[in-house]
Formats: sequence, C-alpha cells, structure tokens
Amino acid sequence: MARSMWRGAIQFGLVTIPVKLYLATESGGIGFNMLHASCLNRIQMKIYCPYHDEVVPRSETVRGYEYAKGRYVVVTEEDVDSIALKTMRAIEIEMFVDARKEANGAQFVKQAYYLEPDEIGRKAFYLLKSVLADEGKSAICKIVLKDREQLAALNPYASTMLLTTLHWPDEVRALEELDLPEADVTFKPGERAMAEQLVASMTGDFSADAYKDDYRQALMAVIERKVAGEQPEPALRAEPTNIGDLMAALEASVAAARESRAQNAEAPAVLEVDVAAEAPRRRRKTA
Amino acid sequence: VPGEQLPLSIGRSPLRRLPARLRVMQPTAVDAPFDDPEYWFEPWWPGVRGLAFVENGELRLRAEGLNDALAALPELGDLAEQLTTDGVVLDGTLLVLDDDGRPDADLLRRRLAEGRGPGRAAFVASDLLYAGGVALGRRAYRVRRARLLEVLPAGEQVIVGRGHVAEGLLMADALRELGVAEQSARQMSARYRGGPAGAAWLRMPTALPGLAPVVTRRPSLALIMRLPLD
Repeated sequence: MARSMWRGAIQFGLVTIPVKLYLATESGGIGFNMLHASCLNRIQMKIYCPYHDEVVPRSETVRGYEYAKGRYVVVTEEDVDSIALKTMRAIEIEMFVDARKEANGAQFVKQAYYLEPDEIGRKAFYLLKSVLADEGKSAICKIVLKDREQLAALNPYASTMLLTTLHWPDEVRALEELDLPEADVTFKPGERAMAEQLVASMTGDFSADAYKDDYRQALMAVIERKVAGEQPEPALRAEPTNIGDLMAALEASVAAARESRAQNAEAPAVLEVDVAAEAPRRRRKTA
Repeated sequence: VPGEQLPLSIGRSPLRRLPARLRVMQPTAVDAPFDDPEYWFEPWWPGVRGLAFVENGELRLRAEGLNDALAALPELGDLAEQLTTDGVVLDGTLLVLDDDGRPDADLLRRRLAEGRGPGRAAFVASDLLYAGGVALGRRAYRVRRARLLEVLPAGEQVIVGRGHVAEGLLMADALRELGVAEQSARQMSARYRGGPAGAAWLRMPTALPGLAPVVTRRPSLALIMRLPLD
C-alpha cells in the first residue's frame, strides 16, 4: 500500500478537509553506486572537518547559515519549531485562479502530489474538486513540506486532486537576461498560414503512455547483459541508404502494380464488368 | 596610317544573377488520382518543399520558411559539384531518410528545428527553374524536365525524381503499396508560374474516392524490395 508523506487538511474558508499526500511521480533514472575501481567495493562518503582534521559523525553536525563570507549563525531544531506557520499542517487555499491562464506563474512547477481525503472529508473534497473542474479554476495555496513553506496549485485530476508545488516568484529567473526581441519580429500571412497548417497537422490528444524513456531501457538492457555475463554489443550502425534505393523501390512498386493490373485484365469477363462498374472517375475534381 | 589595333577579347558573358527569392508554384488540390497522357505523375514524398540555388559554385538551400536549410542538412553541401552547369535553381523536396532508407518526416522536422539529428538528408528535384543563369519558367514542363535530367546527374543523396507519364492510377496503386499517401501530377505543356498553379500542377491522394485512405506509414523498403521487378 502506498505510504503517505504528509497528513493535514485543506483549509478552505471555514471548511476543513483532512487529506493525505502521496508523491505522484518517482524518478525513472537508473541509480549507480560509486565503487573503488581496484576492489569494486562501495566508496563511503565521510563528513570531514578540515579544522580538526578528523572525520565527524552526523550526530555532531549542526545547521549553519552563512550570513557573511565565512561567518555562520547556527539554526537549531528549536529555532525552526519556533516559527509559527499557519500552514504547518494545512493546505491553506489563498485564492482561485483561471486554470488556463499562463500568466499566473503556475507553470514553474517542482513536484506533484496526489491527495487522498480521509473518510470524514470525502464529500467536501469531491465537492471542491467538482467545482474547480466545472469552473475551470485552480486553487493557489500554501503548504509546509520538508520544513519549508511551499507555494502550490491544487487541480482536479482523474479521481482525485493534484497538488503541484510551485517556485516562489523570487526563485524564477527574469526573462530580461535573455535576448528575446519578439516585438521586432513580423510574420507574413503566408508564413503564419503555413505554421498554422503545420500545427494543425500535428495536433492530437496527448497521452503520456505513448512516450517511453528509450535511453533508460537501452541502458537497462546493457546492465542485464553484463549481469548475465555477456559483453554489451557495440551499437549497430546501419549502412547508409541513399535516395536511389528509394527510387528503385518506387520503380519496383510500379512494376508490381502494372503486373497486378495485367492479371486483373486477364480475369473472366464477368469480373471485368464488376471492375468497370467500380472504376474511379477520370474527370478531375478540385478538392 | 592605320590606327593601332587594340586586342579585343570577348570573354564568356557573366551569368545573370539569380533572384534572391522566387515565388514558388503552389499545386492545386484535387480529390482523386486519374489517367491523362498530358500529365507526368510522381510521388508526393513526405518532406518539405525546397529550392536549391547554385551560383558561382555556391549552394543556397531554401526550405519552406527557412532561408538556410543547408546548416541543418549538411550532407547536401556537395550538390553544386554534382551539377553540369552553374546558375541553377532546382525545385524539389527535402527529405531525411532513416537507417532503412525510408523518408521520415519526424527526423526531417527535428533536423530543421534543432539543426542536427539522426538520419540522412536527401533532395529529390522535380523541376528546373534556372540553368546557366537563364530562366526556364516560360518553357513547358516537358522541356524543363528534359533539361533537369541533363543538368543533374544522379548522385547518392540528390536525384531527379522518378515518375510516369499518363498512368496516374497505376502510380497511385504503386504508391499506396509503398505507404505514400499523395501524388503529384504536372501538366507536360505547362509553364512554371509563381503562386497557384491551376491545372499546371495538381496534388491528390493516392486513395480512390470511396475507398479507405492510405494508412499513414513510412514507405517500407523491406516490403517493396521483395516485389517482382520488370
């Protein structure tokens, strides 16, 4: 059974909806361990203090904030606990925004979480979900996760709601650093029409199932072969095929079509009548 | 006293400068393939319309909406050396072939968008607009195509497109088998005209009216190579 990583409540006006949070995604990357090349044992990372020239156990470390070059202030657990955050155990809804508006900064996402309502809050949970879906709204809220207050967006998703943590505005880099002369660029109507045609031809319904991490699969296959004692095969490079082969394929196809037509012509007369009845019009018609 | 005779030499007249841009002919869509002895039928390969300008041995390659496609398709850089004359403008289709030699529109898009990527670029020329610096647009397609075959001997990646006169329905059958969804028909007696082509150039599906359309797939060389040749 999935393990929740946070428990609290959605605060929505005077309504409190108890919920649990589950990570919605997991890293698909292949993890490696660092080994000592000569003995293939795992390398250990030790915490080292250059002042005392000794390895330090984690229990003897504290958190420090560098407020000036080389000068630190120690921040203890008590200091952190003393911060009275309203959102400590709550998903505090601040406002509702149009879910489709891109200008609200909600596209700078960090991590997605599934919400699971406690039994007592199910009705209110699904009521909120239903209203958000029908109105096309997204709830902007705050939540404390991993000792940090996070900005987040709450959106209907399948049979639940998705909480997506967002970057704070001061974490988002300014576009002014880039050379983006959008206003200086003009398009001819023909160019615009061509681009619209291209977009239309490639428009479809996105389904994430249609995409897969090819690199990960190939790397995993190499690992599995090595585990089985096989040497990985060098990547095969197909012999370059030139455009002449394609033309030869066309000629072959024309020859085959001609032969097929000749065979049809030799078929019994009754069949010829049927074919003639179904023959396409030879008059051209503009589409 | 006879006047001093100055040596007079008449060198080769410099080539006329090719236009920087050309208004290309746009085909007229029709709804079905047909037979007509006045038309030249060839595949509508899944690629991008391209114009190759060769002047003073230098190649300029224009794709739809992209002034310099050569950077993305560097394999076509030797095109100028392949030609038998200079001052040439070719009209055709830019393709990127996958490892099996099949035109792959996705690979082409990636090349044009990112400037690099897998696959091998190719150019199928289907019309000749200038040769020797002389505009050929007023000549009939029959003449332009004959000149095109003289100007552009077949190379590994650049080639004059193949096709057939009159037999549009046969060509459609062949192309459906290849997985090519559309074909082109050029009127043999027509001039090249910028903009809408009218009857001079037609574009049509290879599927017959009322029949199932061609399932869009890349032409399979492996399948076709097994078919009998003449």
